[in-house]
Amino acid sequence: MASVVQVTGVTVAFGGLRALRGIDLDIAQGERLAIIGPNGAGKTTLFNVIAGDIAPTTGAVVIRGQDCTYRPSRHRPRLGLARTYQKARAFAGLTVRENIYLALAGHRGRHRALWWSPADRAMRDEASDVASRAWLSEQIDVVAGELAHGQRRQLELAMAIATDPDVMLLDEPASGLSRGERERLAELLESFDQQLTLLLIEHDMDVAFRIAQRVVVMADGEQVMAGTPEQVRADPHVHHIYLGTEAA
Amino acid sequence: MNLRPRLTGETLALAVLVLFLVLLPSLATAFFVNFVMTQTLILGLAAATIVFLAKYGGMTSLAQLLMFGVAGFMFGNAALEGGARGLNLGWHPWAAVGFAIVVTTLAAFVLGAIASRTTGIYFLMLTLVYGVIGYFVFAQIVEISGPGGITSIQRPDLLGPPVRLYYAGLLLSVLAYVGFRAIRRTAFGLALQGVRDDPVRMASLGFNVPLHRALAFTLAGFVAGLAGLLNVWWNGQIDPASISIGPTLILLIIAVIGGISSLGGAWLGAFVYVLVFTYLRDLPLVDRIGITEARFNTVIGVIVLAIMVLSPEGLTGIIQRLRGRLRRRAATEPAPSDGRSLPVHTTQKELGGTRS
Repeated sequence: MASVVQVTGVTVAFGGLRALRGIDLDIAQGERLAIIGPNGAGKTTLFNVIAGDIAPTTGAVVIRGQDCTYRPSRHRPRLGLARTYQKARAFAGLTVRENIYLALAGHRGRHRALWWSPADRAMRDEASDVASRAWLSEQIDVVAGELAHGQRRQLELAMAIATDPDVMLLDEPASGLSRGERERLAELLESFDQQLTLLLIEHDMDVAFRIAQRVVVMADGEQVMAGTPEQVRADPHVHHIYLGTEAA
Repeated sequence: MNLRPRLTGETLALAVLVLFLVLLPSLATAFFVNFVMTQTLILGLAAATIVFLAKYGGMTSLAQLLMFGVAGFMFGNAALEGGARGLNLGWHPWAAVGFAIVVTTLAAFVLGAIASRTTGIYFLMLTLVYGVIGYFVFAQIVEISGPGGITSIQRPDLLGPPVRLYYAGLLLSVLAYVGFRAIRRTAFGLALQGVRDDPVRMASLGFNVPLHRALAFTLAGFVAGLAGLLNVWWNGQIDPASISIGPTLILLIIAVIGGISSLGGAWLGAFVYVLVFTYLRDLPLVDRIGITEARFNTVIGVIVLAIMVLSPEGLTGIIQRLRGRLRRRAATEPAPSDGRSLPVHTTQKELGGTRS
């Protein structure tokens, strides 16, 4: 399979703190990759580098053959990349429909129109379809700031789905969800097209190991190991750094 | 995101208000219409650009009066002929209007492009710096501002009688109000609100956040420029002191009095400001308590202070609260009891962002 995201020797330093230390990743098209590790391991920083929210101190990020290392995040959707954030970042003052509409408008380059066109009407209808895929049909005209935590997470996911991406970065999508909501999320992630590349940061091991074909374990800004969910689950070193010595 | 205009109570109230304002010249004195109301509409139009930027873009701008002044100065330079002050280009008045609007809009775009990379207090301070620099540019380059300003500026023949200027102000005000409100539901307006709520998220969705901010600033500059043209026609002259730091703050104060989160508040704030400015001296016994015309700014300061303490959302906030209270009272009118159960009403309490 052709690789869609290549991360080579990425280091990120915040003053004296090295959040990432020479990370290398090669992610194939359609691959489901989970990145796990304890808090402060550098998982979200790695996502931020891939998504263009921060530039690496050294190293390179190539997405679908294009060097994006220092290109700002707004160029990523054109390369088919969508992301969600650890803390749900829907636009609080806008409705669910408007949030999804913005995701569609951003992807389709309809950024600055001062009037409504048939394309906008189509996107408005499309936003309803996307909302129903994320189980938000009933909340379609509810302002995002009034949604429950789980619904905001669903909205984040809906905004990522809306752009029909080739690569999706999901930062702790199951965080704060109830058991039922987590199960529903896992079902949704499993239902995605097999051509979609999925990078997942997740603390819920049930969700992460269920979705992922490959798991990368990080600690202190470094990649500790990579392997299948079974290999990672069985690795005593992973147990030691992630689950504590007792588990090992 | 309803695309069809709806006939709501608010729309109906707006239509009645506009109708009343259209009929006002036949109901009120010429002084009230041509002085109080025309000035209200001009200042309200300019203050509405502050509200537009703050409400939808999260940008509190102190450069709107500069845009207002640039348009006035450019019109004066282009339209006057053979006068003692300014460039005296002697163009046709409507060509001068076009020139003034183009220069103002371009200036707004350039200034907006620079300011668009800042947010919050830094944006406010940068736009204040624009205002200060603008003042000194016009105060010191007398070739474009004339020594002591440009005087004897005539308005185009179409707007000859003063009442026509009032109608021009009313027309532009209605267009600006309706236009700004309509924009909020367009792709541009929704994206602007997205930029206000979370610029990082907007960038991750593919939006060019600084460009979006710059374009909003340009649009606001364009509308402020229109207000500046009305002002220079109403005043017949413009001088650098009229865009100095004092008047710059007054425009912000007008927006705050009306309510910086309400478009209609801009005109309400302007009306209160002009009323106080015009009629303060006529109040009986007011001079006995030390309030004279010279202490006008003190009175305005006290009014702003009182409004900010009582209602940070300005006068429109007070009005909305009163309307809400009346609505709640109407909703909680006790229903005829059957004598078996106690009536239960929906209650709601907001504690910051928490609603219980």
